[in-house]
Amino acid sequence: MRSRKQRMACGQGKLPDTAYLANPFVPFQQEDPPKYEPRKGLIRGTIYPGLDLPFKGMVNKNEKPRTPMTELQTLAFVIQELALYLDTHPTDRNALEMYQAYQEKYHELKAEYTNRVGPLNHRTPSKGPYRWLDDPWPWEYAKNKEG
Amino acid sequence: MFIYDKKLQYPVKIDKPNPRLAAIIISQYGGPDGELGASLRYLSQRYSMPFDELKGLLTDIGTEELGHLEMIGAIIHQLTRNLKDHQIQDSAFAPYFVDHTVGVYPTSASGFPWSAASMQVKGDPIADLAEDLGAEQKARVTYDNILRLSDDPDVNDVIKFLREREIVHFQRFGEAMELLRQKLNKKNIYCMNPAMDL
Repeated sequence: MRSRKQRMACGQGKLPDTAYLANPFVPFQQEDPPKYEPRKGLIRGTIYPGLDLPFKGMVNKNEKPRTPMTELQTLAFVIQELALYLDTHPTDRNALEMYQAYQEKYHELKAEYTNRVGPLNHRTPSKGPYRWLDDPWPWEYAKNKEG
Repeated sequence: MFIYDKKLQYPVKIDKPNPRLAAIIISQYGGPDGELGASLRYLSQRYSMPFDELKGLLTDIGTEELGHLEMIGAIIHQLTRNLKDHQIQDSAFAPYFVDHTVGVYPTSASGFPWSAASMQVKGDPIADLAEDLGAEQKARVTYDNILRLSDDPDVNDVIKFLREREIVHFQRFGEAMELLRQKLNKKNIYCMNPAMDL
């Protein structure tokens, strides 16, 4: 049976029973909240359905095509989202395990990306010619390029 | 220190140049509720934060905002590529163009250059977190307004992502306020400044 905590809608959080006057309160997000799959989380801008609050029903529906870059962006996004959550919920063990699992995956994928496309930063180990200057630069329009 | 990763947080691929939209969206680069102010606000406020959760959160959100600044720069750059003179003459982009050509300059859409006066570091954690809650709401509304003014699907895809990040950040700042309160005097949370008197 699900506990009372789990039965709470994921868009609702916890407020203290009594609260201080003259101070703003935001409900605390419950531990182990429901999560989107990573690729859906990326296009929605959050992995948490409870925080997914669009303007006038405008919602991104099409997941990003799988490229080495979007795979990296997806993993990095989930790690960032979990990091912010862990900053205020450092004892949520499920979130911590997920955060660590995605760190592993990111590390592996980053090595693959470096081999196929090029270095992500100056600390990426490299051999051969200087590849840092190679396209694509992130802000450039690159419809037909990988990335 | 900061290390540059040669990637955007979220893909920006804008098929059609559109100077009118660039003239609006520049506000999230250097306007009063834009990403430059957001990153500097949080990265500067963190020095006077007394607890590890608050130092960590301001560092992590402030760093993410620098990534958002880069995304907005990418949007402006892609919206203004390969423009012909007549496309500029006929658009609301002309006043920006005369000063900055198609360079990316931190200014508001109404022409006011980025100013540190649009943000604050008060050096008191409750006051600073309350400012941060307001800042996230104001940035969220700016993105709402951009969605009202833009019908370009490639632009709106990115704007919806950035808008949602404001909501997530608001939630985390609210939780940070609660974590801070739990460590303060229960009878009077304003009895001193925890940045100075703990």
